[in-house]
Amino acid sequence: MSKGIVVLAQNTWEDDYVTQASLLAMSVAVTNPDIPVSIVTNDEVPKSYEKYFDQIIPIPFDDDASEESWKVSNRWKLYYATPYDETVVMDSDMLVLQDISSWWDFLKDYELFFTSNVYTYRNELVNSDYYRKVFTANNLPNLYAGFHYFKKCKFAQEFYTWLELVMNNWELFYGLYAKEEYPGRVSVDVSAAIVSKILDCNETITNNKVKFPSFTHMKSKIQCWEEPKPSWQDCVGTYINKDCEVKIGNHKQSGIFHYTENTFVTDEILERYRNKLNV
Amino acid sequence: MSKGAILIARNNGRLDYVKQAVFLAKRITHYLDIPVSVITDSEDYLKNSFDYTVFDQIISIPWTEVKNNRIFFDGSLAHKTAPFKNDIRDQVYDLSPYDETLLLDTDYIISNDLFKSCFELTNNLMMFKESYDVAKSRNEKEFKYISDYSVDFYWATVVFFRKSPEVQTFFNLVKHVKDEWNHYRRVYQIGSSLFRNDFAFSIAAHIMNGFDKGSFVGTLPGKHYYTIDKDILWQMKDDSMLFLVEKKDYLGEYLPILTKGQSVHVMNKFSLERVINEEENE
Repeated sequence: MSKGIVVLAQNTWEDDYVTQASLLAMSVAVTNPDIPVSIVTNDEVPKSYEKYFDQIIPIPFDDDASEESWKVSNRWKLYYATPYDETVVMDSDMLVLQDISSWWDFLKDYELFFTSNVYTYRNELVNSDYYRKVFTANNLPNLYAGFHYFKKCKFAQEFYTWLELVMNNWELFYGLYAKEEYPGRVSVDVSAAIVSKILDCNETITNNKVKFPSFTHMKSKIQCWEEPKPSWQDCVGTYINKDCEVKIGNHKQSGIFHYTENTFVTDEILERYRNKLNV
Repeated sequence: MSKGAILIARNNGRLDYVKQAVFLAKRITHYLDIPVSVITDSEDYLKNSFDYTVFDQIISIPWTEVKNNRIFFDGSLAHKTAPFKNDIRDQVYDLSPYDETLLLDTDYIISNDLFKSCFELTNNLMMFKESYDVAKSRNEKEFKYISDYSVDFYWATVVFFRKSPEVQTFFNLVKHVKDEWNHYRRVYQIGSSLFRNDFAFSIAAHIMNGFDKGSFVGTLPGKHYYTIDKDILWQMKDDSMLFLVEKKDYLGEYLPILTKGQSVHVMNKFSLERVINEEENE
């Protein structure tokens, strides 16, 4: 059974998601050199980054997000785009900071798995629903599509078929399942939660009793700060050493780090990874 | 393995830590039944003014002036500024005559025997991280992290340690943090320049945990209850204490709260001394 990570990256006029995906792929190369990473994109991948990807895959069934600034409409296509039997889907604005081979061992018992617990940079469970009022208000399962896993199988295909339906008709489905705190735009997390509710499969696709698989979620308002600023980078510094170990404030990071802010990707960080990988 | 408690008593012209230490030593003997030693720069005062036989050993250190001034409140309406002589806690590892030591602030009023079990547990270093405000209504986040964006807060008020290489390293690290305080307080985003042992011990614990959460420091038995120095200890009888705790948003008004069988960190040392004086006069 082949396995690998797939990341969707679509540049906007102001943000370079392909570079983010490349940084993610470099972080995987440092910590998990045996795990291939493929990028799904219609944008050009710079020659210098191509080597970090196993495959560069065009977005299937045309680009549904070409007119969007918030490009999530193609996310449901990853089931069809992946070249792997077992796939971990990750957001492009993430870094893998440790060996996650044991996570694959855990995931192989699932056909589909979504993270439902995320952590602060201080390694504390996020309890705040500041950004997730719609989940609380509508009793939706607290799924994070930013890190999820699927096997090529009938159940996962059914889930993704529903995800396509919900994402393409989100106004209708959100009106039915997310009436309170109505999101106002399509979201993969909300759509996945609604599909989970429709298929009544939450128990089989997540496990909130385990600490991993999960990720550190850096949105500012969920860090247990009394005085959060709009950007978490204005509250705590980022430090990366020559071994590409990352500290946020005084906290060493491990697992998967979801930095959420595009300005996190600097030449210094890219340089650190290039040096570590001897390129 | 020898075991005992250590208290530090260095008077500052405003507060009589020696008197507090004598008072607490009697309670430790009563509730924990272990020998108590005192580290003090006022041995003559202790020997001439109190029953010093409550102590197993008197460990004398030289009198020094410190420039670490802080405000000590006496209830919410009165306060005094005085030197904060808190710079030898990192030396207790070397000064303690015991293999297993329970180090306590003199304002931590023992009222039960829970700490007896420290000596039975396997952790070589234990402190409190979680804490509970007796008043309940105040913001407890002040004691959750050493600053809003920084690391977990550990209380240096009560420290149990068993002499061992890793605990010695820990105390050496506390000393290093103290010696380089201006550097560490900036790195750990602490606004005030006032040196606090709680902060130094917290930073050392964080570093010993590999800059992450971890189990290097175990948790002491029981719960750490405290009253702040804007509260008033009003009465004490055996294991009962009556506090007047500051009313939230009502300056100068208090609520009475009674504790029984619960050890409490009484930060208003002036009121503690008044209660001790009353006890002595009875």
